[in-house]
Amino acid sequence: MKTEDLIRSLAADTAQPGRLGVTLAMGLIPAAVIGLAAVWAVLGFRPDAVAALAKPVPVLRHVLTLILFATALRMCLTLARPEGRVRLWPLLLVPLAALAVVIWAYASLPPGTRAMALFGKTMVVCLVTVPLISVLPVAAILAMLRRGAVTRPTLAGALAGLAGGGLGAAIYALHCTEDSPLFYVTWYGLAILMVTAVSALIGSRLLRW
Amino acid sequence: MTQASDPWATLLRAANAGDARAYARFLQAITPVLRGIVRNKGRVLGEAVCEEVVQDVLLAVHLKRHTWRSDAPLRPWLYAIARYKVVDAFRARGTRIDLPIDDFADDLAAHSGPDPTEAADMQKMIAMLDPRAQAIVRKVGLDGVSIAETGQDLGMKEGAVRVALHRALKQLAVLRQRYVE
Repeated sequence: MKTEDLIRSLAADTAQPGRLGVTLAMGLIPAAVIGLAAVWAVLGFRPDAVAALAKPVPVLRHVLTLILFATALRMCLTLARPEGRVRLWPLLLVPLAALAVVIWAYASLPPGTRAMALFGKTMVVCLVTVPLISVLPVAAILAMLRRGAVTRPTLAGALAGLAGGGLGAAIYALHCTEDSPLFYVTWYGLAILMVTAVSALIGSRLLRW
Repeated sequence: MTQASDPWATLLRAANAGDARAYARFLQAITPVLRGIVRNKGRVLGEAVCEEVVQDVLLAVHLKRHTWRSDAPLRPWLYAIARYKVVDAFRARGTRIDLPIDDFADDLAAHSGPDPTEAADMQKMIAMLDPRAQAIVRKVGLDGVSIAETGQDLGMKEGAVRVALHRALKQLAVLRQRYVE
């Protein structure tokens, strides 16, 4: 086939693809709603969910994870374009803030109670549930990236995992009653990192075009 | 060149707003430049393979044209696609190549060569499509038949031909990608 013939076929194809932001919203909003509904129906929100949102230490769980979600999601939208380049340092702000809170919590707890605060009672539930809630958000972000033209597939996959994992953790936090930063920074963090690693692996394969 | 005066950006902006003739002109305008870039980078691949790569880039530009933001400069976007596909072509042929993005800008326009021979591989990919998709791509592309006439010839509605053509082109890109890997 001559190149001019190919051009003729391409020019005849006038189907207008939709915008990436719209694709993302159409996937991510239902994913978040389903996650919320599932946590509410299966695990239940904590009884003092609303009151907890007004207290600084518990609400930090939502703040940190949602900042992570928003920052990584923005980067994903940039990387969906072939020429998109991102500076990753803003992502460090969340772990740094988390570390500061952990140090403060460690210092303010009496020595005998620290291990109890760290391991809590629901570590396993947390490590299983956060990745489960993250599956749909991550899938929605990866689907948007696949419609885009990603030239750094592994990085884009990892950022999709960070964003989806962050959202998943923020939703899970509505159920979780473990308010010690020693607990939530450690186990939410680990759960989000697991999601990130798997998503990076998927991205490196799925996002080629 | 500032983005406001970039004629390619103007053409693609019109194209993305639904102007098919502007789109054809856009593709015709970028092709010699892409060919120059690919030939310059891929001299060792030979002219016929280079033309395959040019066609891969054009197909990619087509299927990913919605990833260009109309307020962003066009050329970095275009070179990023070209670079990605050229690197892919080399990888498929067992050669690793490192292409600094700045190189692409330098290559511009200078090397537009003569129009080359047919690219045989794309023909093979078309032969792998289902019969109706093949007929549509051949009629529209090779014979230059309009969508409306193609529909009449094949007993299809015009809208159905458009959808089938779009699917066929997406399928071609998938087949090309599989072939490359």
